[in-house]
Amino acid sequence: MKNSYGIFLISVLLLAGCASVTKTPEPASTTPTTTTPVEQPAAAETFVIEPVQRASMSENRAVVSLLEQAQAESGAGKHEAAGASLERALRIEPRNPWLWNELAQVRLAEGQYAQAITLARKSNSFSGGKRRVQAENWQVIGKARVAQGDSTGADEAFKLSVDLAKQAKEEKH
Amino acid sequence: MKLPAFLEKTFPIIKSIFRSRAFRVTILLMLLGLSGYIYYLDVTIREAFDGRKFSLPARVYGRALELYPGLKLSRERFVDEMKSLGYHENPDPKEPASYKLTMNGVEFTTRDFTFPDGAQATQHVHAEFADGKVSLLQVHGATDTDLPLLRMEPPQIGGIYPGHNEDRELVQLNQVPKMLVDTLIATEDRQFYTHSGVDPRGIARAVYKTVTGQRIEGGSTLTQQLVKNFFLTKERTLTRKANEVLMSFLLEMHYGKDEILETYLNEVYLGQDASRAIHGMGLASYYYFERPLERLEPQEMALLVGLVKGPTVYDPRKHPKEALKRRNVVLQEMAGQNVITQAQAAAAIALPLGVVERAPAGTSPYPAFLQYVYRQLQRDYREDDLRSEGLRIFTTLDPFVQRQAEQALKSRLAEIEKARRFKANTLEGAVVVSSTQTGEIQAMVGGRDARYAGFNRALDSQRPIGSLAKPIVYLTALEDPQHYTLVTPLDDSRLVYKERGAPDWKPQNYERTFHDKVQLRVALAHSYNVATARLGIDLGVERILDKLPLYGIDRKPPPFASSLLGAYGLAPVEVAQMYQTFADGGFRTPLRAIRDVVAADGKPLQRYPLNVEPVAQPGPIYVLTAAMQGVVREGTAQAMTNYLPAEINVAGKTGTTEDMRDSWFAGFTGNRVAVVWVGRDDNKPSGLTGASGAMTVWGEMMKNLPTEPVQPPMPEDVEMANVDPVSGARYDEGCKQGTMLPFIKGSAPVEVTPCGAASAVVAAAPAEVKPEAKPEVKPEAKPEVKKDAEKKGVFQRIFN
Repeated sequence: MKNSYGIFLISVLLLAGCASVTKTPEPASTTPTTTTPVEQPAAAETFVIEPVQRASMSENRAVVSLLEQAQAESGAGKHEAAGASLERALRIEPRNPWLWNELAQVRLAEGQYAQAITLARKSNSFSGGKRRVQAENWQVIGKARVAQGDSTGADEAFKLSVDLAKQAKEEKH
Repeated sequence: MKLPAFLEKTFPIIKSIFRSRAFRVTILLMLLGLSGYIYYLDVTIREAFDGRKFSLPARVYGRALELYPGLKLSRERFVDEMKSLGYHENPDPKEPASYKLTMNGVEFTTRDFTFPDGAQATQHVHAEFADGKVSLLQVHGATDTDLPLLRMEPPQIGGIYPGHNEDRELVQLNQVPKMLVDTLIATEDRQFYTHSGVDPRGIARAVYKTVTGQRIEGGSTLTQQLVKNFFLTKERTLTRKANEVLMSFLLEMHYGKDEILETYLNEVYLGQDASRAIHGMGLASYYYFERPLERLEPQEMALLVGLVKGPTVYDPRKHPKEALKRRNVVLQEMAGQNVITQAQAAAAIALPLGVVERAPAGTSPYPAFLQYVYRQLQRDYREDDLRSEGLRIFTTLDPFVQRQAEQALKSRLAEIEKARRFKANTLEGAVVVSSTQTGEIQAMVGGRDARYAGFNRALDSQRPIGSLAKPIVYLTALEDPQHYTLVTPLDDSRLVYKERGAPDWKPQNYERTFHDKVQLRVALAHSYNVATARLGIDLGVERILDKLPLYGIDRKPPPFASSLLGAYGLAPVEVAQMYQTFADGGFRTPLRAIRDVVAADGKPLQRYPLNVEPVAQPGPIYVLTAAMQGVVREGTAQAMTNYLPAEINVAGKTGTTEDMRDSWFAGFTGNRVAVVWVGRDDNKPSGLTGASGAMTVWGEMMKNLPTEPVQPPMPEDVEMANVDPVSGARYDEGCKQGTMLPFIKGSAPVEVTPCGAASAVVAAAPAEVKPEAKPEVKPEAKPEVKKDAEKKGVFQRIFN
């Protein structure tokens, strides 16, 4: 036990030292995004993971419309309905990592942490090296780990998420 | 006049009996008894009427077709879908469930439909098709607007029915056209609105006819008919008649005419669809005309009303002449009672029956799938609720995939029997098809006669799986990349394996020869038994068999080495679960047939959501998939090219058991996993290998389905290396020689052979197969086991 406290302390210190993630909370309806604000201790240096346009998540308008529907349902707390809409989208594009990520977020909101982690991993497996969606998945994994009481694992996930988001941003430029 | 002696004696006794208290008490008791009985009838009637008046079967729906621009779908297939949903052609398709063909597409109007996620209103839509795809989807309005997505109504694929398989579609009185009601009253019970349950003339006639030994017929009021159907048996006795009369009075005392009429309209028996009984005007209207009641013409209403007298005798599909006669009698009654004019009647009499053609479907055209659904539901619902609460069950069945699976099985088995001069109808088979990434079952065929609701081989036939078991052995090896890669040489020389509790095991290869050293991928591609057995023994029999539960196999195979080669029985649906996990990158998604269950009032009761379990690392699964693609590209399933282009890169495995009793193929494309079993019900040899039997069914089916190539995402810990297909030597990346094969990073052969060098260099994989993994191979077995060694046991049965 002592050891794990030690590790926890070190990791907290490390975390404080390195970049910490803060997403700007945004009004639910204005910007089309998948992201939700992350509860992280504010730190001196913050890196903002920018929201992703839904339209860029799929070239198929049917899929985009179902994603919009799912996000609206999620926003209204109707997680089961959101899951159902995402399954409809997944039947159309079963290898779209954004859809699996969204489903992982739904499971997270439902408190199904193990499922959330697995779905995020599945999303990663379809990400084809796209770091932006990977960053999103590590966010989910991090939050699920927090809820599971695995703060060390959570910190690792959040750090990875930030690194990936940074790399994604650099790739863009 | 003298009374006979005995009367003289008894008369005073009789007199005294009449005067006695006992007699009066008896009469009182009888009256009490009668009123008690009436009270009992009254309670029975009110309970039945006030409580649930009808058992409503559960309706089972297939998947709803999602239409969107870009969907691979031809116009012909879409029109088929609409027809199966009961759409009809109409030059102006503005009413629900009608369509018209346009230049490049279809104009149609959908129905209102309540999905588990809410109601969807009718829409007037135009779709166009080009190059086998939906090219345009627009909703009609003041200006046509693009529609990103349209969900069609799901096809009803069956029901779960109450006793006697009674089916009905409930209607309310205000949904029933007045003309139909008037016709019914004109034909069956003209005094309906004035009598009090019983028509006295009717009773007089009935009593007279019964007393004089004639049959009871006609004369019953609608109320009596309802009572008869609702509460009484079919026997024809006076007691029953008395009950019927009493109950009819009681019914009329408690309930209004409209209530009785509405119940009658929903209760009346109007036809038989194989095992399914058609009750009520609402369902009959669909059953005979594929339209709701409010859209029936006078002659169609006349036909339905005419059927009341005898649904079997006047069955318009079986006895069209009698049906027509009866219908015209009703039409004349209608004119006689001023329901329609004489001119209308004359015009209607000239028209044909107009009944839609329809093959008897019984409770479901897809009995195998329905059985699977039913078993899943039984875990969560009470039997009674399933059969009577009017639940709506939304399932995953895709009728198009199902049809391809049924046809492929039926046609291939017939062709094989013909080509090989087998006795006709001796081969049987089963097919299970699921979606690769979501685990939804799209089709299930339980036998070559797919309509027959009998033994379901897809679920209940556990046959030895033979070589279908091998991928688990190879996966276990590939999970240890320090020791095993696709090019690791395996030993395929003679093997005698002794173990406790089983006779000596001497596995043979299918062609009964041995191949000294073979590459791991080659051993799987050609399904070498000896190499696989030795590999499995080296890795540990228990270690491999213990993995099966992860892949959804709950059955425990015998703990012997022969189980490595599939000497245990599994049902096709269990094999499908195992291969689904291979196909989906090591994520196990439990196969699902049900998406949602909704209550009769539209309230969602239960969702069966997509769940995913990680059971194998994606890296080794990726490498295994490459090896299973080798089975099709260069191994036992090469003949797949007769059905599917090489670019699809199918991954799969053939399975053949002892004496060719079972022929299996399990495999996947980018979007579907399918398992086919072929064999004989009497378990005699079928003369078929996995490749000559099951695989041809698989290919025949897949070639008619939209198919995506197998392109699993490459995991980060995997890299490609250029190796010599024979020696396994590694070439430079740029070298034209060699084949690109996947390796877990760091496990590819390290030494690079110069381009152009002969493949004689035998470059082993990173390390040799460790001999210390072999402790189970004991030189001697226990003597008592040896006795059985010569017997050909089940352990020795698996060849390929």
